[in-house]
Amino acid sequence: MLKATIDTDTFRETIDVIAAMVTECRLTISEQGIRTRAVDTANVAMISLELDQEAFSSFLATAGELGIDITKMKNIVGMMGRGDVLSLDLPDDGHKMEMVFSGYKYSLTLLDVNTIRKEPSMPSIELPAKIKISGAALNDAIKAASVVSDKIALGVDPAANFFYMEAEGDSDHIRLELGKDELIDLVPAEARSLFSLDYLKDMGRVMGRADEVEVQIGIDHPVKFRFGIADDNGRVEFLLAPRIEAD
Amino acid sequence: MDFTEFATICSRLEDVPGRIDMTSIVRDVLEAADEPDLPVLIRFLMGRIFPDWSQEKIGIGPNHVYDAVAYVAGKDRDAVVREVNTAGDPGRAVEHLLARKEQTSFFTTPLTLGEVYGDFVVIARTEGSRSQKEKLRVVRRLFGNASPLEGRYLARLMLGELRIGIGEGTMRDAVAGAFGVSAELVEHAYQAANDLGEVALLARKGPDALAAVQVELFRPVKMMLAKQGTIAAMLEETEYLAAEYKYDGTRFQFHKKDGVCRMYSRKLEEVTDAIPDVVAMLAAATSHDIILDGEVIAVKDGRPLPFQYVLRRFRRKHDVASHIEEISLVPNVFDIIWIDGETLIDLPFEERRKRLEKAVEDFVAPQLVSGDAGEIEAFYRGALEEGHEGIMIKVPSSGYTPGVRGKDWIKIKPAVDTIDLAVIGAEWGEGRRANLFGSFLLACIHEGELIPVSKVATGFSDDMLAEAYELLKDKVISSKGKTVYFEPEVVFEVGYAEIQKSPNYEGGYALRFPRLIRIRDDKGVDEVESLALIKERFARQSST
Repeated sequence: MLKATIDTDTFRETIDVIAAMVTECRLTISEQGIRTRAVDTANVAMISLELDQEAFSSFLATAGELGIDITKMKNIVGMMGRGDVLSLDLPDDGHKMEMVFSGYKYSLTLLDVNTIRKEPSMPSIELPAKIKISGAALNDAIKAASVVSDKIALGVDPAANFFYMEAEGDSDHIRLELGKDELIDLVPAEARSLFSLDYLKDMGRVMGRADEVEVQIGIDHPVKFRFGIADDNGRVEFLLAPRIEAD
Repeated sequence: MDFTEFATICSRLEDVPGRIDMTSIVRDVLEAADEPDLPVLIRFLMGRIFPDWSQEKIGIGPNHVYDAVAYVAGKDRDAVVREVNTAGDPGRAVEHLLARKEQTSFFTTPLTLGEVYGDFVVIARTEGSRSQKEKLRVVRRLFGNASPLEGRYLARLMLGELRIGIGEGTMRDAVAGAFGVSAELVEHAYQAANDLGEVALLARKGPDALAAVQVELFRPVKMMLAKQGTIAAMLEETEYLAAEYKYDGTRFQFHKKDGVCRMYSRKLEEVTDAIPDVVAMLAAATSHDIILDGEVIAVKDGRPLPFQYVLRRFRRKHDVASHIEEISLVPNVFDIIWIDGETLIDLPFEERRKRLEKAVEDFVAPQLVSGDAGEIEAFYRGALEEGHEGIMIKVPSSGYTPGVRGKDWIKIKPAVDTIDLAVIGAEWGEGRRANLFGSFLLACIHEGELIPVSKVATGFSDDMLAEAYELLKDKVISSKGKTVYFEPEVVFEVGYAEIQKSPNYEGGYALRFPRLIRIRDDKGVDEVESLALIKERFARQSST
C-alpha cells in the first residue's frame, strides 16, 4: 500500500536520476520512504537511490516491492507541470497505481517484479581519493571530454595536490586540472582509472543539477559518485566499472 | 542446463567431422538432458530457435549483434566490424572480442539454456516504436553475461547459422538412439508435429506416444515436395498414375476451424491478410474443419499469369484491398492433410483424393488417373498449351510425406535446368551499378551447412538488382575487399547449362553459364538444393 503526495519537481528529479541508468526497476517501499538499487544491462553501472519520507508532503506506506517501467514513467513526468503536486495511490495488492497531477488522473499498470532483474548487492569497495566538486563543473568536464574521445581518465596527483580529468582521442587530447581551491574538498591519494563516456554522459546530465557531488576513485577501480536530491531528503550513489587501458 | 554447457557441446561437435560420431555425441547429450530443456536444446543444436511451425521470428540482424557486443566489450562499432571481417565469422569475432573486453563489469550471472530461450521469446515478441531499443537491451544483457565461448554460439544462434553441422537427419537419429525408438517413427512424428523438440518429448514417453501424434490445426506442416523424373520411368514402377497440372503459382496450406481461416505460404509463414480473396473462396468451398494443400495462380482472361504476379500479392502487407481487383487469384487444391480432427497423411493418395472431392466443392484441381503413357503425354501437352508449367505425376498409393522430396511425386516440365540456391555473399557492382550488389555467391545445403557452389551475375534486370539489394542490404555479416557475406535468408532460382566438377568451390561442383531466373522469396534457405541432389544431377547429365 502506498498513499503519498509529493512536489512534481522532486518526483521528476528522482525519475530522471533512475532513467540515467535503467529502463525498468524494482522500487522498494517501506514506512521510512522509497528505495531502489539497479544495474544496467551490461552489469557495468549501478545505482542506489533512497528517498526519505521527508521528501514527500504526506507519506503512508506498508512494505512492498513495485515494478516500475521507468521509460513510461519518464513520459508521464513530462506531462507534469512545474511546482505542482502529485498524489500517488496504490491499494493493497494493487497492480495499478493511480497518479493524480495537473488535472490528470493517470492509472499506471505496474510491471510484474519477477520479470525485472533482482536488486544487485552494491560492492563494498574502499576508494582512497575523494573529491567534492560542483555537479555543474563535473558535467562540463564530462561533456568536454566527450568531444575528443569515448573514454575519460579520472585521477588524483597527490604530490601536486590536484584532481584531473583527461581524454585522449585519435587526434586530440584534453586535460583539466583542478586544485584544492577550485574544488569544494579534496582528500588526495594516488588514483587513476579509465571510464566509458557512454555511461558518464548520462550520469553527468543528472549530476549537473547537484550543488555538490562526491567523487571517489582509486587505481584501476570503479568510480563512485554520491550526491543528494530532494533538498538532501534523498541520496544517490552511482557506481561505474572501469575500462582496461588497451595496448 | 547452463548455457555454458550447451556452448561446450557445440564446440565439441564443431571439432568432430563424422556424422556417426556427431550422432552419438548428441544422443548422449539428449539422453542426459532434463525434460524441460529438451525441446529448446534440440532446436538450438540445429541452429533454430522456435518450432518449425511457429510464426515467431527473432528478428535480430548483424547490426543488433555488433552494437550490443560493442557496448559490452567497450569497443566502438567499427572495431567490431573489423574483427568480424578478419575472422570471417561473427561467432569467432564475438568470442575474440569478449575475451579481450576493455570494459570491466561488476559481476556476471550465469546464463541457462531456458533463460536464453526466454530472452529470445521476449525479443521476438517486442513490437512497437521502442522495439529496437528494447531488443538491443536484451541482447546486451545476454552478451554482458556470456563467456567468450558462449558469445560465439549466442551470436551464431541469433544470426541463424550455428555452423556445427547438425541437420534434421542427424538429430532424428540421435533422438531415436537416445530414447530407444526407431528413426522411422521419429521421422514420421516429425512430419506431423513439425517440431523435433516436441517429438523428442514424445519419444521419451515411448513408441506409442510417437505413433499417436497428429497434425494440429494452425500448426502448418511442411509441404510435400516433388523430384524431377519421367513418365516412362514412373510407369515402370507403378501400374497407373495420378496426373495433375503443375501450376506456376505459389504453394499454400489452408487451415480452417469454424469461421477461423489461416493461410500459410510454402515457408509456412502466415499470409492470410495478404490474400483475403483466396481465403474467402476456400472458406466458402467447404463446411468442414480442414487442412488443404494447393497452389494459387494468377489468372487473366482465363490464362495463367507468370509466378511473379502471385508472389507480388503474397508479399503485400499494406493496401491489400486496392490490389485485389488488378489480378484475380484462383486456388487449386490438390491434397487434403486433415479433416474434422482426423489426420490423413498416412492414407494413400487415391483415398485422400476421394475425401478431398467429398469435402471441398470448388477449386479442386483436375486430375487424370491413367496407366497409359500416351494419355499422360497428351495431358502434359494440354497443360503446356493452357499455359501451365507442366504436370505432376503422383503414385496413387503413396502417403503424404511433409517436407520430403521423394519419388512419390514427380514433376514433368520442359527441359529448363534450374536450381534453387541460398545467397550467402555478393560483390559490389561496377560503374552504373556501383551502389548495388552485382555478382552473388550461392550455396547448396549439406548436413545443415551451406556450401558454396556458384556465382551468378547475369539474368538480372535493373529492377531485380534493386530488389535483391533491398532484400540483402541489412543482412551483411562481414565484408572483405569488394565481397560481402550475408546472413543466409534469400533464395535465388538459377538456370544453368550444365554442372561441372570444379575445385573452385567447396562443394566440388560448379554451374556452367549460371543466370538468375527469379528471386524465390517463397522458399527458405533450408529448402535449397542439397549437395547430394547436385551430385545426382551431375550423374544424370553425364549418363545422357
